[in-house]
Amino acid sequence: MYLVDLRDIYFKYLGDEDYALKGVTLTARPGEFILLAGPSGCGKSTLLRVLNGLVPHFYEGEFKGEAYVAGLDVRSTPTYALAKHVGMVFQDPENQLFLSSVEREIAFSLENLGLSRNEIKKRVNEVLEIFGLEHIRHRAPYELSGGQQQKVALATVMALEPQILALDEPTANLDPLSALEVLTLVHGLVKKKGILAIVVEHRLEIALRFATRMLVMNKGHIVADGKPEAILPQVRHLIGYPPVVIAHLLLSRKGLAGDGIPLTPEDLAAKIIEVVKWRR
Amino acid sequence: MTALGSVLDIFKYRRKETFLHSLDPRSKFLLLVVLSVASLALNDVFSLLLLLTIEIVLLAISKSLNEWIRSLRGLAMLLLMIFILNFLTLPSGRLFTSITMVLRFVCLTSAFSIFFLTTTADELANALEVSGVPREYSMMFTMSLRFVPSLAKDLQTVIDALRSRGLELEGGRIKERIKNYTHLLVPLIVYELRRSLMVAEALEARGFGAVKKVKPYVELRLRRRDYSIIFISLAGLFMLLWFILSGRYAMFTSAVRYLFPEF
Ligand SMILES: Nc1ncnc2c1ncn2[C@@H]1O[C@H](COP(=O)(O)OP(=O)(O)OP(=O)(O)O)[C@@H](O)[C@H]1O
Ligand SMILES: [Mg+2]
Repeated sequence: MYLVDLRDIYFKYLGDEDYALKGVTLTARPGEFILLAGPSGCGKSTLLRVLNGLVPHFYEGEFKGEAYVAGLDVRSTPTYALAKHVGMVFQDPENQLFLSSVEREIAFSLENLGLSRNEIKKRVNEVLEIFGLEHIRHRAPYELSGGQQQKVALATVMALEPQILALDEPTANLDPLSALEVLTLVHGLVKKKGILAIVVEHRLEIALRFATRMLVMNKGHIVADGKPEAILPQVRHLIGYPPVVIAHLLLSRKGLAGDGIPLTPEDLAAKIIEVVKWRR
Repeated sequence: MTALGSVLDIFKYRRKETFLHSLDPRSKFLLLVVLSVASLALNDVFSLLLLLTIEIVLLAISKSLNEWIRSLRGLAMLLLMIFILNFLTLPSGRLFTSITMVLRFVCLTSAFSIFFLTTTADELANALEVSGVPREYSMMFTMSLRFVPSLAKDLQTVIDALRSRGLELEGGRIKERIKNYTHLLVPLIVYELRRSLMVAEALEARGFGAVKKVKPYVELRLRRRDYSIIFISLAGLFMLLWFILSGRYAMFTSAVRYLFPEF
């Protein structure tokens, strides 16, 4: 049983000329960390919106194909029902956080499901602990740093205990260190809880190390799907290489690093050591 | 912009641990109503001064005197205007009446600032929900307060973008200016529509609308301190009404006028 099962999806926004998704087929299982990349306007956000039903319920348009998420038919399930299964976090924390304290922010999602007050309290405390937010539970979200805000946004959807996390450029407004922190947190959730994470990220150098699988889109199509090491060379013309891969390319041309594509500086270092050791 | 900003500060919530902050929003609302009624009903310098003293004590209790003083400084020009306009246009008793007008304005603003400095938007929304207002509407209320700073920021962004393309908003003739402001309005509306779409998306993604009747996380409960404030507010209100309706207040004001005829 797949957690996400999209079959030949086409979608055109109301009023647009061209389809934003053109025959997208995708299956995914629990425990995967999928990095979704591609040039601007290729349909990444639209694809994520299908997962929680924003497309076609919130965004109207022409929808074709079959879409099942957590066993539910997206076409006939409203977004608020899918929200229990798919936690969606967006780029800009400012537009996702509304209330006057971190704790109430998390409680808000739970209130929406109509849970009892005791159940809400229990889950709020759990989530605060998992995300290390207890010390700022009474602070207002707008007083926090960007990294903390995105953690809160993540916490608000994780409180609903979804099986799928869909993140649309969650670190676009963050400095590299906070970005790494947020993605590490997501990675931890994938490992510990066995959820499925689908992450749109432009900063490959930060996200690649976590990805178990990479999807690349172009003009509404999925043009590559597989292990990052395997598909990076195929899609270089679309998304470029992260700096560490370029460094490796230069070094290996001079015979200073071993074969294969490194995804992190640590990988690269290992490849260099490999060659240097062998030379001695 | 900054002057306006500091004036608006008088209504912006500050998180603090004080007696007033800890009150139920409903009892604070009653207090606000009573203080406002008093500011409007009283019309002599002495009783308004007494009212202002009470409000200053309340502001001191909520540790907000500094914010209040800062905002009053921002309001100084407006207060001066109120005074001068009254002074110039009134036929007689000019000094006292003008001061009364200024005092009344200060009392009324202070009453609202006591409320808004100590009450968050979501406490208010919570109170509305408890009073039977549907969640969609109370949320609308929270949102409209929440996004005021964002709107101000967006406005600045659009102004900067227009400036960098050489459009000067200030100066020029009236007709020119009006035309320039339409240049400002169109991108701003587009901007805010986009933002509201994103906000709506985020709300949907958090299950908003799944059930009609929600249990608010923070339970509003009237505690002993709330009952004491409610009692004091109502007692104050009845005293004020009795004083006015029995004609004693009219006697008092005419006595004042008799004692200080030259003002
Ligand atoms: N709300 C909308 N209404 C109409 N058309 C839209 C809407 N959102 C996106 N589109 C169009 O659909 C196509 C895909 O957009 P989408 O936002 O999915 O791309 P993306 O890959 O997320 O891009 P980016 O990297 O810039 O976020 C684009 O051509 C875009 O113009
Ligand atoms: Mg996008």
